[in-house]
Amino acid sequence: MTPTVSASGLTLRYGGTVALDDVSLRLSEGVTGLLGPNGAGKTTLLRVLATAVPADRGAFTVLGHDPGTTSGRLDVRRALGYLPQTPAFHPDFSAFEFVDYVAILKELTDRSARHREVRRVLEAVDLSDVRGKRIKRLSGGMRQRVGLAAALVGDPGFLVLDEPTVGLDPEQRMRFRELIAESGVGRTVLLSTHQTEDVAMLCHRVIVMVRGSIRFEGTPAELTARAAGRVWSSTARDPGARAGWRTGTGSFRNVGDPPKGADLLEPTLEDGYLLTLDGEPAEVAA
Amino acid sequence: MSGGDDEAIGGDRRDTGGGGEDMSGLDEDMAAGRSASGAGAGDADRTASGADGSPDGRWHADAEDLRAYARGELAPPRLWSVDTHLVACAPCREALATVSDPVVLDAGWERLDAELDAPRPRLLESLLVRIGVADHTARLLAATPVLRRSWLAAVALVLLMAVVATDAGRVAASPTLFLALAPLLPLAGVALSYGPVLDPTYEMAVVSPLHGFRLLMIRTVAVLTTGLVLNGLATLALPAYGLRALAWLLPALALTGTGLALTARWGPVLPPCLVGGAWVTLLMVAHAKADGGTLAPFTALGQGIAGAVAVLAAGLLYLVRDRFDFSPSHAFFADHTDFSDRSAA
Repeated sequence: MTPTVSASGLTLRYGGTVALDDVSLRLSEGVTGLLGPNGAGKTTLLRVLATAVPADRGAFTVLGHDPGTTSGRLDVRRALGYLPQTPAFHPDFSAFEFVDYVAILKELTDRSARHREVRRVLEAVDLSDVRGKRIKRLSGGMRQRVGLAAALVGDPGFLVLDEPTVGLDPEQRMRFRELIAESGVGRTVLLSTHQTEDVAMLCHRVIVMVRGSIRFEGTPAELTARAAGRVWSSTARDPGARAGWRTGTGSFRNVGDPPKGADLLEPTLEDGYLLTLDGEPAEVAA
Repeated sequence: MSGGDDEAIGGDRRDTGGGGEDMSGLDEDMAAGRSASGAGAGDADRTASGADGSPDGRWHADAEDLRAYARGELAPPRLWSVDTHLVACAPCREALATVSDPVVLDAGWERLDAELDAPRPRLLESLLVRIGVADHTARLLAATPVLRRSWLAAVALVLLMAVVATDAGRVAASPTLFLALAPLLPLAGVALSYGPVLDPTYEMAVVSPLHGFRLLMIRTVAVLTTGLVLNGLATLALPAYGLRALAWLLPALALTGTGLALTARWGPVLPPCLVGGAWVTLLMVAHAKADGGTLAPFTALGQGIAGAVAVLAAGLLYLVRDRFDFSPSHAFFADHTDFSDRSAA
């Protein structure tokens, strides 16, 4: 697919630490998942791509615009929807007022056109009924949807979502996944998450980051395939396994290099992710 | 607009300025509209004649306003008034149809439909719009933390205490306590109106197309104006000192401008603290050398220097304006834990 976002050699240091280490990637239309442990640099990468902070080195383009120039940065921001990690709101604003505020930041100054757009995005995230409620009175799931509505204002071509499903209960998370899936139609979405289920359910591509570098880039099926023949069941935790845990049935699920004759199990995306984190050399799938 | 119509709009303004979240006012208006709907429609000019000339004895929207509304050119707050009135008034809705191009009229109904979804502006936004601020700018200002009532009340209280203390101890040639304190309040207000620490939506604002410097200036002008007005009112409470009581003004501009200019480099917390600390230190040194007379910053020379510093700071601020287009410091974000432990080396 034609890339809509291309980055090469992105490097960012904060003092003596490396937050991004020569990161190159290509995103295309649809939802791309960004997985990685805490401290991997996911949020930093998202903030660089969202033009919140400039990289020390490297370059990227979004929908053909180069944020390295003032006019290019403006064009990128006009094409951007950004939901930061744990977004904060003006608590005294209602959902409508807050999204309206973000619409103004996105240069929608005509009141009537702006209000139509606010209504459209609130309907898209199913919040029309509570539009007049103050944000501080909304549930966590509703607040996240307010944030998503704000990100969707102006129909941006590039949507950056930083761990939007954190703290949501299963029902809220499922509803939010539906919204993200709908948002991915016709636009490029980069979704940072700790939830491998999010990636398995939503994403056509997945990137795994570890310590500021990309360890894997490919499809969810390719990430899952990395664990093929490397997941097995046993009655006790296998000391040779890289990871192992007791399942609900009482048997142990082990991930790593199985012994001969092991009872192999069908791998999941999470198995592939765990193996990718565990000291594997960086690899980018074709 | 006739006087009668002015009153009609004024009556609607009462509704639009309520600032509530609900639509109860609209419901009342709609009920009123139902009772008036049987009164029949007049043409636009007849509708414009107001209570005296209207067939039903009720106030109606001005014909010129309706034409501007139909063209989509009516600006707030009059736009809000006509929006609200049209919901309630069948004759005016029919009058609107007579002055409108059908295509434009459809757009108008769509706009009205969207408006009905919008909560009414709160008190601060309504006040700002009424004094001529564009409605979108008013909303940006409503999101400014220090324009909240609690902050304004705190500033007013501090000023009141300073005035009382200064007036009670009126033995010196100048109201030193008041003059020392007054410049710090606009500095603190501006520092607290922008930045990742106090603006919860700062990250969203930084990546928006609206230039960070423009947002900073919009808020700074509003906060600075508010602070200077409060200081000015406090000055009026010290008439015995005459113009000497205004010697806070140039230092206030110098401190605020310097604090802002340094914010671009060192973030929003450290510079105001440093500038405020430098001001207090300067006053203490001046006090030690003054021998009971006017402190140096409040003399003609001191005022001249303060004015020059204010101008230089404004120039520097303009030169570094693009720095406000990014986050000023990485350390202010929670995601600083998202950095690798690996050394750059």
